[in-house]
Amino acid sequence: MGMAERKAGSRKTVKIEGPTIDSVPITYRHRIPIGRTVKYWDGLKEGKIYATRCKSCGAVYYPPQADCPYCGSSDVEWIELPREGILETFTRVYAKPQGYEDFEPYIITIARVGDVRVMGWLINVKDERCVKVGDEVILGTTYIEKHNKYIITFQLKKQAMLTTQYGLT
Amino acid sequence: MDIALAVGVEKMNEVDTATSLAVGGRGGNYLWEYHFYGTTFPAYYALYATAHMARFGTTEEQLALVRVKNQKYAARNPKAQFQFEVTVEDVLKSRPIAWPLKLYDCSAITDGAAAAIVASEDAIRKLRIDTPVWIEAIGYASDTSNITRREDYVSLKATKIAAQMAYKRAGIEPRDVEVAEVHDCFTIAEIMAYEDLGFVEKGMGGKFIEEGQSDIGGKVAVNLSGGLLGKGHPLGATGLAMIYELVKQLREERERGRQAPLRKYIALAHNIGGTGHYGYVTILRR
Ligand SMILES: [Zn+2]
Repeated sequence: MGMAERKAGSRKTVKIEGPTIDSVPITYRHRIPIGRTVKYWDGLKEGKIYATRCKSCGAVYYPPQADCPYCGSSDVEWIELPREGILETFTRVYAKPQGYEDFEPYIITIARVGDVRVMGWLINVKDERCVKVGDEVILGTTYIEKHNKYIITFQLKKQAMLTTQYGLT
Repeated sequence: MDIALAVGVEKMNEVDTATSLAVGGRGGNYLWEYHFYGTTFPAYYALYATAHMARFGTTEEQLALVRVKNQKYAARNPKAQFQFEVTVEDVLKSRPIAWPLKLYDCSAITDGAAAAIVASEDAIRKLRIDTPVWIEAIGYASDTSNITRREDYVSLKATKIAAQMAYKRAGIEPRDVEVAEVHDCFTIAEIMAYEDLGFVEKGMGGKFIEEGQSDIGGKVAVNLSGGLLGKGHPLGATGLAMIYELVKQLREERERGRQAPLRKYIALAHNIGGTGHYGYVTILRR
């Protein structure tokens, strides 16, 4: 049917109903190369958080960059980040994605640490409503057995001090 | 080329919610974010919501008002996914998804498609199209994939740059826009869009919705389709669905109660990709 034959304003909706079949599901698992950032991954195991600094232009990167996106140099050095930061924002994830279903609702946090920002989980907090933007946090790393990985974790500084003082772990 | 057909389509219902959340979360920066911390789409926008609330005193009630407004129009849109109205209380009482965002602060999993015919001025003349809608300008920008490298968490820089580019190219000011479809994937996203598109100054988005300025009768009528929240958010179809709605608005073909009053016949579509990775602003005029 040509365009001219079609009545102006005519509407036709096609809804396909009826039996369906299920496809065979597929699972992906990528192998992600970390050869040039091994220092970072090893650091996490030792409780250290590393960033990179470009020796050529001085730019500091977190997450680390093996090549400098600013000047293109591959001459970078590893620097350890300070252990304290200021909480810039956070959320508590209740609707969890695939692979995280077995975790308790977790608090994802972004903290300002020196000249960069760092993402991590805020731990040892009872309720997200006790947390405020601007709170001081202490950085550390934690082993997550379910995923066999180390992650960055934050604790509220006021709480971390209490823990040290009274041994409330 | 004189005439082109643009088609957008998405089928999201074939996976379970956890998988959908994973696919969305991996759309951020997989290695440094999802891999370590299980970021989801709602979580990314919740990070913005928390910061906006802390900095400007934006409230959960103000966020809820976005959903209330958009459902008012979704209820009148026969093509919307959710054709019902909600109250502020319904939103506040819905279950938490990524605190402070609750179920009704979030767009849902949607199947959908949209299409538009784009033609040259010559083709429009030759075919004697009597109600063309003109693309006045398109602005676009991108931002970092790593959310930790964004400028701040109270605005989307990609929106700001794209909007400035589009306004400049169209030779208009934000106040000239009479009807807009903005990227309300979450309630906070619409509040930030008011500000980043220049409808109101930074930080005043909560007040803007509270005063009804983004509703019919206000400064600019926003998301009269019901928005991504009410009409639905089939990712690949969302951008063209916005264009479809605005074409209908500019031709004054909308149902009573859902038609924006127009004097200048200027409309704006605002579409975001990723977690703010990409921003597109399109100015249309009849
Ligand atoms: Zn450099």
